[in-house]
This record gives sequence, structure tokens and C-alpha cells, in this order.
Amino acid sequence: MILLIGLNHKTAPLAVREKLFAGCEEKKNLLSDLLGLPGVQEALYISTCNRVELVAVMDGEGKTIQGLKRFLSQSGGLTDQEVANCFYVYRDQEAIRHLFRVAASLDSLVMGETQILGQVKDAYRQALAQNATGLVLNRLMHRSFRTAKRVRTETTIAANPVSVSFAAVELAKKIFGSLAGKKVLLIGAGEMAELTGVHLIANGAEEITVANRSQAQGTALAGKFHGKAILLDDLDAAICDTDIVISSTGATSYVVTEESIRQSMRKRKNSLLFLIDIAVPRDIEPTADSIENVYLYNIDNLQDIVDENMKVRKKEALKAEAIVEEEVIHYNNWIKELEAVPTIVSLRAMAEGIVRQEMGKSLGFLQKLSEEDRGKVDNLVKSVVNKILHAPVTVLKEESSEVSSKGIVDAVRQLFRLDD
Amino acid sequence: MTLFSLEMILFKLALASCTLCTFGYLLSLLIKRVMLAKISTLVLAIAFGFLTLNLLAAFINSAGLTSLGSRNFFIFFAWAVSGAYLGFQFKTKTRLLGAFISPFILILMIAAAAQETGKSLLPENLQSWLTTLHLFFAIIGEAFFVLASCAGAMFIIQNGLLKHKKLGKMSRLLPSLHDLDRINHLCLLWGFPILTIGIIAGTVFAGLAWKTLWPVDPKIIWSFAAWVIYGFLLHQRLAIGWKGSRMAVLSCTVFILFLLSFLAVRFCFTTLHDFI
Repeated sequence: MILLIGLNHKTAPLAVREKLFAGCEEKKNLLSDLLGLPGVQEALYISTCNRVELVAVMDGEGKTIQGLKRFLSQSGGLTDQEVANCFYVYRDQEAIRHLFRVAASLDSLVMGETQILGQVKDAYRQALAQNATGLVLNRLMHRSFRTAKRVRTETTIAANPVSVSFAAVELAKKIFGSLAGKKVLLIGAGEMAELTGVHLIANGAEEITVANRSQAQGTALAGKFHGKAILLDDLDAAICDTDIVISSTGATSYVVTEESIRQSMRKRKNSLLFLIDIAVPRDIEPTADSIENVYLYNIDNLQDIVDENMKVRKKEALKAEAIVEEEVIHYNNWIKELEAVPTIVSLRAMAEGIVRQEMGKSLGFLQKLSEEDRGKVDNLVKSVVNKILHAPVTVLKEESSEVSSKGIVDAVRQLFRLDD
Repeated sequence: MTLFSLEMILFKLALASCTLCTFGYLLSLLIKRVMLAKISTLVLAIAFGFLTLNLLAAFINSAGLTSLGSRNFFIFFAWAVSGAYLGFQFKTKTRLLGAFISPFILILMIAAAAQETGKSLLPENLQSWLTTLHLFFAIIGEAFFVLASCAGAMFIIQNGLLKHKKLGKMSRLLPSLHDLDRINHLCLLWGFPILTIGIIAGTVFAGLAWKTLWPVDPKIIWSFAAWVIYGFLLHQRLAIGWKGSRMAVLSCTVFILFLLSFLAVRFCFTTLHDFI
């Protein structure tokens, strides 16, 4: 039986997640301790800032769920109350589905984010290194990676940005193509402007200039980006020499006017200028948008793009859920087929035993034959046995994966007296 | 297999791959997938290969460079446009631009197919290495202007989307403004001097053949006007700094005006250039 116990951002408050995350990180031999619990055959655990999940393959149910819960709560030092409120337990098909959804980022705080797959892969790698996984979990994890990949390629769930700063980066790319070597001017040292600056640099933008009313704060922010700080008075000159402007001051009137941009456009020979105004009230005069080759986006424009993308993601999530469902059925069939495997093995063993026994009885007759003829008789007997076994084995596999292994396995064991 | 039948086969292959890539590009615009445009670009590259081989075979088949076949005139034009476009693909990521270029190439190829094989473009009395040179450079120069205006047209669309704050599927699909403007810039930069050489070759030929440098001829006047206007655009671009949307609108307008006037002259006047 596959069992999944865990908590995530939906079920547990940050304080609980923190405690459990730290507890799991601290425990060096968490996996071997887990495998030491009674009934646990294979195990792995995924722990990120948004979730801690424990996946285990058990050879029976009973007290093991309680055991695992206790194990987790002890690792994180959680109270009984917290355990009762936060943990969810999934079995078999539900556990498979949950894991696939996690890997495909359908269960994430920001649906469609790409980090989680890497974290799941790391968790698997860690378990693999400690020999904690086996037949069932290995296949389960590979299937979950496959599901995530299918969701990524067959839907556009992760295609468009869902944060304002990433939307700004995408816009910059649609204007400038590559951001390599582009110059960025930050007006005001706000947090959002800083974040957008970080994303722009990560995408290739090079020079960053910070213009701020408080020189000290400006210099501090510029230092972070290895850029230079200037005074607000030098703004017009700076705009002449920049490609992307991000403004986020607390000023109550326009910091940059249409006229000043018009003048700098002349000096910069009309090269494209991307203005991002994330301040409320606005810093850049809205009419500046009417200037040729100037693209002015305010916080609402960016938010609209994000909202639109969010809608697309939600729509794509439906497609993704269908893919997950398909993969769950696939894997579940395999698991059920697996239940028939011991019976198939003993069936074959029995048949081989009979062949060996009967051939032994006819040894006297067989020795009279030539080497070649003996081989032919051998093949004949084996192929008759195989042909007879073919139908029951096939039906056994099909019936197990499509319906249930229980009835058919019992029937076969009884018919062929496999348990005697 | 004779060289002539090889030439025909190559032409048909080129025509087929041009058709294929045109449909591919247009479909990519319709279903909004860049992947399809990328594949179409590959198909266009194959078409370009066939066109090159086709021109080579035609060259070996022909008596010499001076008696250019009228079919080869169109093939050469298609070759120049696709070559210039593919060349830019190394520098900029503007795969979707093919959706505007490839129909033009296809029209040229269909025009080529409509020409009789073996028919010479120029009447006997105009055949000279100078007229060949004139045609060669004029065609390449024009090919660059075709590209410049296609890039301009796409710039206008993308600019409209970004100005209206619509970062939708269409905007994501189309190339970036900077790349499109760069193509417009490079096309003017290369197209203008090449066209100049073409015009000079024509002038020299006119001087030698008719003892006058500028025969009064509607087509010549139009071509000269085109040359002057493109020269003006290039000057404004380099010296004054006209860029982006203004340049895109101008090069598109100029191109459409010239296309219309060319057709008007073609069907309403008799000119020295009647063969085109």
C-alpha cells in the first residue's frame, strides 16, 4: 500500500511548517529512521518551505499511519493539536494523485511555478542515494516526473508570468528583444522597484542607476546592484542615457513630465524607451505614453496582464488535471498488475517443475534419441506448456490491472493448487 | 537526365517548398505557435537551397549571363528576398516575420512559373553585361526594401499592441520591436547602396546605348523617385535619428505607393522597361 502523509501551505500555518521543515532538515538519518518503523518497505520525504510530505510503501495498514504521524510530529516538535489540524493522509490512488499534482505544480501556492519539480527530484535523489526506495516508489517517482513534463509541454500553465515584476521583464523583452547591455534607471528605492531591477539583471540588463531623494538610501541600493546613485535633480540627463525606467517614489506630484521625456527623446535620437511607473500616486505624467517610441506602463496595466495570465493558468489547470488523472490510472494499473506477479511466478515454477519431473521419468527413452532429436522433444514440451499457460497469465494480468487482483488470483491459486 | 530537366525539377521542388513554408508560417500566425514558424523557417532554408541550385543549373544551361531568362528574373528576386531574410535570422529572432515575407516569395515563384521557359527577359538589342549588372543589383536592392517594409508592417502591429497595453498571445508571438526596427535599419543601410550601383549600371548602359544618361521614361522616373525617397529615409534614420514607429510607417507607405505606381505604369504606359 502506498501512503502519503504531510502538510502544506493550505492546511498548516507558517509557524507549523517552519518547525517541521527545520526539524526534518536537522535530522541527518531521517530516512533510515523511517525505514526502521514497522511495516515500512520504501520511503522518501519531500520538504520545502511550503510543504512537508512523507511517501511510504507499507506492507499492511494498522498502526503504521499513527506511527508515521508520531514520527513526523516528533521530528518537528509539534503538539497533538497541530498534528490533528494540519496533517492529511492519502492512500493508494489518492496518494498517487496527490504526488503527481505536487510534481506538476498544481498544488503549489503559485500554480504552475517551476521550482517544485526540482525539489521533488532532489527528494528522490536523496532517497535513492540512501537506498530507501524500491520497485514501487522508483516507478512512482519516474511517473510523477513524466506527468510534470507532460503538463509543462502539453499545457501553457507555466508559460506566462503571474507576478508584476516578471510581467515587466516580459514586456521589456517584447520591446528590446534581448536585455543584454540594457541600462536601467530606478527612481526611488522602493521594494517593488528593487525586485523588478533584480529580475531585469537576471535577464541580462547591465547598468543600473538609482535616483533617490535620500542620497544614503540611493547609494545603498545602487551598491547592491554595483550601480551608481544620482540625485533627483540629474534625472533628465539620466533618462537620456537609459533604456528602462522604473519609478516608485512616494512623491505626490509627477517626478517625470511629458515635456522632459519629449526633450530627452530628442537627445537619445528616438531610441526605444520603456517606462514602468509602479508608484501610487503616479510618478510619470500619463500623457508621456503618446510620445513615439515611448512605452509607459503603470501598476494597473501590469496588474491587468498578470490577472489575464492568471485566468489562462486556471484554464490550463483543467487540462493539467486531466493529464494527471490519465497518469494516475496508468500507474494504478501497473500497481494492480504487480499484485498478480507472485502468482504468475509460482504458476510458472509449478509448470517447470512438472516438466522437469516428467522428463526425468522418460530419461530411459530419451537417451535412445540423438542429441538433435532430444532437443526437439525438449522444445516441443516447453512450447506446449507455454501455450497452455499463456491464456491464464494474460487474463491474470488484465483482470488484475483492470478490475482487481483479489478474485482472479485466488481462483488461479485454487485451480492450480499453488498453495499446497 | 538532361541538365534542363534537372533545372525544371529543382524549380518544382523550390516552388513546392515555398508553398509549404508559406502555409506553415500563416498557420503559425493563426494557431499562435512559434514552433511552427521555426519549422517553416527550416523549410524556407531548404527552398532557398533549391532556388540556388536552380539558378546554378539555369546559369550552366544558358548561353551566358547577358541573356537572362524571364523566369530566372523572378526566381532571382525570390532568391534574393529569401536569402536576405534567412541571413537576418542568424542575427535576430524574428521567425514570425516569415509570415509576411513568404507570401511575397510565393507570388514571385508563381509569377516565375507563369513565364515561358527559355523565353529571354531582355530583347536582343538590350542584352549586355551592363544590363545584367543593372538587373542584378536593382533586384537585390529591391529585395532589401521588401524586407524593410515587411519588418515595418510587423513593427506597426506589435507597436499597436504594446501601446494599447495588450500583452496577449499575438504580442507574445510577434518579434520584439527592437529586432524589427533593426531589420528595417539594416535593410535600408544595405539596400540603398546596392540599388545605387544598379541604377549607375543602368545609367551607364543608357549612356552607351542611347547616348543619353536619362532617357525620359515613366519607369525610370519612378525608380529614381524611389531611390531618392529611400535615400532620404536612410539619411533621416542615420543623421536625425528617426526610428521605430515613424520609420516603420514611412517605409511601409513608401513601399505600397511604389508597388501601386509600378503596377499603374506597367499597365498604362509603354516604357523602355516593358519587359518587366
